[in-house]
Amino acid sequence: MRKWWQVLMGLVVVGVVGAAQIEIVFWTAPNPSQEVFWRRMAEAYMAEHPEVKISVSPMPEAPTSEAGILAAIAGGVAPTASENVFVGFGDELVRSQAIVPWNAFANWDQVVAARAMEETIKAWVFPDGNHYIIPLYVNAMLVAWRIDILRELGYEKPPRTYSEVLAVGKRLKEVYPDKFLWLRSELEVPTWWQRWFDFFVFYYAASGGQPIITEPEITADDEAAVAVLGFFKTLRDQELLITEPLATGFEEGKTIMTVLGPWTFPWWKENYPELVYGETYVLTPPPVPDNYPADKPVYTFADAKGLVLYAQATPQQRQAMWDFIAWVLSNPEHDLLWIQTTGMLPARDDVGKNPLFLEYIKEKEPALLDYAAAIPYAVPPIFHYKYVDIQELMGLECIYPVLIGELTPEEGWEAWKAAVKDILK
Amino acid sequence: MSTKKELGGWLLASPYLLSAILFFLIPLGWSLSLVFFDWNVISPVRTYVGLGNFREALTSTRVFKAFVNTYKFMGIIVPGVIVASLGLALLVQHLPRGKQFYAVGFFLPYLASGVAVSLVVRGILSYDSAFNEFLRSVFGSSPRWLRDPFWATLVISAMIIWKLSGYYALIFLAGLQGIPRELYEAAALDGAGPLTQFRKITVPLLYPAFYTVLVLSVGLCFGIFTEPYVLTGGGPRFATHTWQLEIYSQAFERFRAGYGATVAVLNAVITFGSILIIRRVVESWGRRLGFR
Repeated sequence: MRKWWQVLMGLVVVGVVGAAQIEIVFWTAPNPSQEVFWRRMAEAYMAEHPEVKISVSPMPEAPTSEAGILAAIAGGVAPTASENVFVGFGDELVRSQAIVPWNAFANWDQVVAARAMEETIKAWVFPDGNHYIIPLYVNAMLVAWRIDILRELGYEKPPRTYSEVLAVGKRLKEVYPDKFLWLRSELEVPTWWQRWFDFFVFYYAASGGQPIITEPEITADDEAAVAVLGFFKTLRDQELLITEPLATGFEEGKTIMTVLGPWTFPWWKENYPELVYGETYVLTPPPVPDNYPADKPVYTFADAKGLVLYAQATPQQRQAMWDFIAWVLSNPEHDLLWIQTTGMLPARDDVGKNPLFLEYIKEKEPALLDYAAAIPYAVPPIFHYKYVDIQELMGLECIYPVLIGELTPEEGWEAWKAAVKDILK
Repeated sequence: MSTKKELGGWLLASPYLLSAILFFLIPLGWSLSLVFFDWNVISPVRTYVGLGNFREALTSTRVFKAFVNTYKFMGIIVPGVIVASLGLALLVQHLPRGKQFYAVGFFLPYLASGVAVSLVVRGILSYDSAFNEFLRSVFGSSPRWLRDPFWATLVISAMIIWKLSGYYALIFLAGLQGIPRELYEAAALDGAGPLTQFRKITVPLLYPAFYTVLVLSVGLCFGIFTEPYVLTGGGPRFATHTWQLEIYSQAFERFRAGYGATVAVLNAVITFGSILIIRRVVESWGRRLGFR
C-alpha cells in the first residue's frame, strides 16, 4: 500500500514538473562537431534549469541547409532557434518576417558586453537597426604558403604584393616547371558561393575592406576590383594559376599557395600530418597590389555565420531560448569549449587577446593565432537578399570572360556592374 | 458479387492511387497554383504576378540555354545510347555462355550513384591524372575537359551514355531473343550476308525496342542534373546548363518558388511536346514496317 502511494506521488511530481516544463528546439549546423558542442551546452543548461527541455538536432539539408530551413518554416515546423545563418540569407528571412530581433530582449546589451562582441556586432546590424543574427563564429580567410618550397626557391618569407607573387611564380617555374603557384579550379565555375573563397578574399585585401554593395548601390572600389582581375589574368597567362581540377594540390606540394579556412586543420591532421605550421606552411593575409601601403592592415573575407530566433516560436519559447543563448554566450569558458570542439574561432573582439583562448591556441593550434589576428579585418558576406544573382554574375559576366581573354579586366568589371545594377533596382 | 469484385479491384489499386495523389497530383496542383505568384513559400506576402513568371522565363537567357542544351545533349546522347546499348545487346546475344552474368554486369552502371561516378570522372580527368599525363606525353597537350564548353558537353554526354547503355541493352536483348532464328536461316539461304540480315531483319523487328529506348532516352535528356551539378555547375558559360539545374537554382538557391514552378511547368510542356514529336516520327517508321 505504501509503495503504491509513493509511485502515485512520484507520478504527480513528474506530471507537475512536465506540465511546467517549457520545450524549445535548437537546430545546429549540419556539422558533427557543432552538434556535439550544442548538445553539451544544452545538457549543462538543463541540469541547472529543469524547467526547460532543449531538443538539439542538426538542421536538415534538403537539399541545402537554407532550403531545409525554408521548408520547415513553410511547413510550420521551424525550430525555436538555429545557427548557421549568414547575413544574406538572414536578409531573406527578415523580409519574409520569419525571424525576430534578438536585441528586443531586456538584457541584450549586457550579453553583448559579457561576450566581448561590442565591435564585432556592429557589422551585423540590419538596415532597420535591429540584430536578427548573433554572430557565432568568424572564419577570416587567409592564404597558406608552402614555406618549405619557398625556402628551396630562396625565399625566407612569403610574398606580400602582386609583383612579389609573380616573381616567386617565375622562380617556381624555373626550378619546378610542373608545379603551379595556385590551384583554383572553381574560378571558372559560376557557382555563387565559390566567390567567397577567391574574388572576395583578394578584393577586400586590395580595397582595404571597401564594401562591394551598400544597398541599394554598388559601392565597390573599382580600381581594386580591376587590379584583382588583372592579377588573376596574369597568373593564368603565366601558367601560375591552374583552373582545371588536380587530384592533389597544396597538400602534396604541387601548388604552393592556397586560400584557407581554419576548418581544414582537423582534416590535415588526420590525412597530412606532415604539414606542420611554421615548418611546411605559414599563413598570411591575401596578397595586395604593389601600391598598397605596407603599414596598413590587410583585409579579407570572413566566412561568418550566426544564430537566429524564429517568429513561429511562442513568446515563452523565445524567452526560454534567449535565456539559454545568453547563458551560453556570457561565459568565456563556453567559447573555449567551442574552439576546442569545432576548431573555429568565436566571433569575439578579444579572441586574439584573452589569455583563456590564447593559451589554448598557442599550445594546441598555433595556426589559429593568425586567424584570430585577422578577425578585426575580416568582412562578412554581402548584405543583400539577392546575393546568389550578384555573386553568380561575378563569375559569369566578369571572371570567366576575363580569364579566357574575351574581356579586359576593366571591361569585365564594368560588365558585372551593368548586370548587377538591374538587380539592385 | 460484382460489387465485391469492384471493391477488391479498388483495394488492390489503392496503394498506387494513394501514392499518385500524394506525390503527383497534390504537388502538381500546388505547382500550378504557384506559377502566378512571386513567392518564396515563407513570406506572408504572396504577390500575384499573373503571367509575369512565364514572360520572364520565356525571355530568360538561362532558360533559353537550358532549352538549347537539352537538344544538344539529345543529339549526342540518343544516338550514342542506341548504338552503345544495341552493340552491347548484340555482344551479349552472341556470347556462348554467361549471358545473364554479363547482362547484369552491364546494368550495374545504371545503379551507381551519379555523385560518386561524377567524382571518379573528375579524378580521371584531373590535370595530373595518368590519363592526361599520357595525352600530354603523346600529343603535347591535354583538353580542358571540364572547362571547355565542347569537351564539357561531351564528357557529360559520355557519362550518361555509359550509365544508360547497360539498362537499354536489356530492352534490346529481350527484343533480339524474340526474333525467330528461322528468319536468319532463310535469309542466309537466299544469300543475305550478316550486314543485310542486320538491316533487313534485326533492325525492323527490333522496332518495339527502338521505340521504347527512344522515348525513354529523349525523356531523360530533360532530366539531366547530377553530372553537370557536380562537375561543371552548368558552366562554362551555361554550356552544360539544364532545365533541372535551372529549376533547382531558382527554387532552392534563390528561393523563388513561383518562378521555379513556372520553369518546371515549361519544362514539362516541352518534354511532353518533344516526346510526342519523337513518337509520331517513330510511329510513322513503324507503320512503314507494318507495326501498328
